Amino acid sequence: MARGDRLLFDLDAEDLKVFCEETHEQLEILDAALVQLEHDADSVLLQRIFRAAHTLKGSSATIGHTRMASLTHGMETVLDAFRKGNLEPSSNIVDALLQALDILRDLAIEVQTQVDSGVGTEPVEALLRSFSEPGGLATPAQNATLRAPHTSSEPPAIPGGDALVTMVITIARDCPLPSIRCYQVLQVLDANADIAGILPSREIIESGSGDSLVVATIRPNTTVEALSAAILEVPDVESVTIGEAEPDADEQSVHEEDVDVAAMAVTRGEHAIVTAIPVARGGNQSARPAQSVRIDVERLDGLMNLVGELVIDHSRLQRIREQLKSVLKDASLAQLAENFEETTAHLGRITDELQEQIMRTRMLPVRSVLTRLPRLVRDVAQKCGKRVELNVSGEETELDRSVIEEISDPLVHILRNAIDHGIETPAERLAAGKLETGTISITAWNQETSIYLSIRDDGRGIDTNVLRRKAVERGLVTAEAAQAANDDDVLQYIFFAGLSTASTISDVSGRGVGMDIVRTNVERLHGQIHVRSTAGVGSEFIIELPLTLATMKALMVRANNVIYAVPLVSVTEALARANAEIANVAGQPTLRLRNQLLPVVDLSRALGDARDHAGPCSGRFVVATRHGDRQVGFLVDDLLGEQDVVVKSLGTLLGNRRGLTGATILGDGTLGLIVDTATLIADQHPPAAHRQAR
Amino acid sequence: MPPPVDSELSALHAGDEHVVIFQLSSEHYGLDIQAVQEIVQLQDITPIPGAEAWVRGITNLRGRVVPVFDLRVRCGFPAMESTTATRIIVVKTEDGMVGLTVDAVTEVIRIQGDCIELPGQMAGMPGNSFIRGIAKLPGRLVSILALEYVLPVREARSEEIPESSRAAA
Repeated sequence: MARGDRLLFDLDAEDLKVFCEETHEQLEILDAALVQLEHDADSVLLQRIFRAAHTLKGSSATIGHTRMASLTHGMETVLDAFRKGNLEPSSNIVDALLQALDILRDLAIEVQTQVDSGVGTEPVEALLRSFSEPGGLATPAQNATLRAPHTSSEPPAIPGGDALVTMVITIARDCPLPSIRCYQVLQVLDANADIAGILPSREIIESGSGDSLVVATIRPNTTVEALSAAILEVPDVESVTIGEAEPDADEQSVHEEDVDVAAMAVTRGEHAIVTAIPVARGGNQSARPAQSVRIDVERLDGLMNLVGELVIDHSRLQRIREQLKSVLKDASLAQLAENFEETTAHLGRITDELQEQIMRTRMLPVRSVLTRLPRLVRDVAQKCGKRVELNVSGEETELDRSVIEEISDPLVHILRNAIDHGIETPAERLAAGKLETGTISITAWNQETSIYLSIRDDGRGIDTNVLRRKAVERGLVTAEAAQAANDDDVLQYIFFAGLSTASTISDVSGRGVGMDIVRTNVERLHGQIHVRSTAGVGSEFIIELPLTLATMKALMVRANNVIYAVPLVSVTEALARANAEIANVAGQPTLRLRNQLLPVVDLSRALGDARDHAGPCSGRFVVATRHGDRQVGFLVDDLLGEQDVVVKSLGTLLGNRRGLTGATILGDGTLGLIVDTATLIADQHPPAAHRQAR
Repeated sequence: MPPPVDSELSALHAGDEHVVIFQLSSEHYGLDIQAVQEIVQLQDITPIPGAEAWVRGITNLRGRVVPVFDLRVRCGFPAMESTTATRIIVVKTEDGMVGLTVDAVTEVIRIQGDCIELPGQMAGMPGNSFIRGIAKLPGRLVSILALEYVLPVREARSEEIPESSRAAA
């Protein structure tokens, strides 16, 4: 095989998709867990890593990717040695495993592209073998036949007896969810024993297809009695019967491994992509596996659109109800109207619920982004000669999947900056009386309709005087303005384009094309980013994001006979023009609002509406909006109240409509336009250098 | 049954066409029915501020946001108030559905391939650049529109596509 050769794997397009998704998932698990391994190698973590490697081995063998199977086998052997306590996860070994992981990624891409990447697995496999077989007794090639790892090498002696025990565990037939009980039994077994063989197979149990009987051949780490007692604690377990293992138990388990692979192949053939993702939550051993189904995002979007329709129809029905009520005075008809009213109300509740549920299906735990970060932190810290510990919490916080896809880059950028610029070198830290190892904490949480992500480091903080100097040097602000600004304001300079506080350009954090892009990305998601910093103590970036992009809360207004939806997050106040203090300042109408001066513009004019202003009541109200630190008042003709709007795209045929993010269907079936306040506000606050040109 | 046609001619004219005939001002135009999704009465159209003169705005077609272009203005005729005869011809494009307002839709007919001639002698007529052929019918001429020329050029509207596709999500 050579680089660029076509590869043929034993799978069709649908299988390929499933394989790639699964592989990606397992690689993510490995990525995060391997880094963690260096710090604490507890049995749960080891088990998780081992299982991921094992799954990869099984699936790559199924499709006939021998190099991938053989490499995962090598990893598995090392991991198994960890599990059995024959090997300590030193930094060298973790490095080797991470190398293997990088190669696995390349191999996974091969499957996707069906083109040989030319990446060889043998050097890393040899490296792994040097750890797992220090004596170099067995020739590894002989073991590469992909038999079960438990049987491919001599089982090491396990404290507490190396005798094999067979357990027959029965679960009540009428129990509602025998598959979950099976899974729980498996977890208890995993925690207390080394499983040589189990029926139904691990994959079947983990996929939630277990039934009311489990037969396991095990080497318990505790007494058999203690283990049976632990199993009996699982609800609905009726009995545990213990028998002597048959002499050929090892042989049998080998067959079971083969059966596993066959079973997987069958599941693939049927396109059954229902999987159970066992989630090891910190310390919570009894967490039930979350049953999940992979759904095409497009299909979800379709459902979402339909629900949007339903919401609109419901509001139409409500209007009809109002009309009926006013018309139907007759007693019997009034009864009819009442029935109608009840039905409409019920429909409303169901629609709300449905909308909420479908929204939920679009949500993913932010974990999927965060799992990549420990590896990143490790690599970047090594490159910079820093020592950094990463604490992550709130991984279960859920975000809309479209938001998740977009938030990764900003997050990575902030993190790189924190390591490169924020955290000091170990020597500097010691000199400053800090711990040698710096800490970066990433916290995610949910508050009302927003998600917050905080990235906090205990480094040197951001030097506001350097920021002042750089901003003036680069002509981003005048020297007077920089001097007059307080430190909090100066911190915001970090988001200016073309400003980097690192005095030298490193390959870690680039050349000052950073934070402004981070801010732009966050704002595109209708989010905001804030920064706090104390010299010598550290910095914190907080990203605030909406729960979803599919709907938003908006203030509905009318301007020049068009109805607009102004995102409520950006509205600070709405007031009648008659009550507003508006004066001309240098030819620009300006609103004074609590000692702040806001430029005031007509909303439809700001959007480029060149038609004559229709209607007698033009600009009766001012809607004050804010984006970042900038504020603008928009003149509108009417305020129509707050509303949840479903965001619909304007499509591509209309081109880039500056100042509009989309349209929404109103209660009467007509369309309103959703205003992109961020852009409109930026338009009214051009950078100082370009002010003349406008 | 269509009459058998000479093979050379059919190569030139791609056979017979089913064409929707409509009016812009006093002219007759045709659009291949393959591209036409439906024809609806004029309904509420929300104007898009700052858009080109031939963009009437967007309308709600059974829950879809569909842009509506004024074909009169697009083809170089002066804008005119809508009448009860005004229709929206909804066409399918690669970039989604588009509505085109026309003064009236008169009929759907089959035009024999050899009745359609290439434009050329008609230079100077409004909307000439959007025409791919002229059908000579008894008593009148019908200009067959080329949809791809009527719609705005892709390059001019390719910005921010990721943005709008996300908003759709």
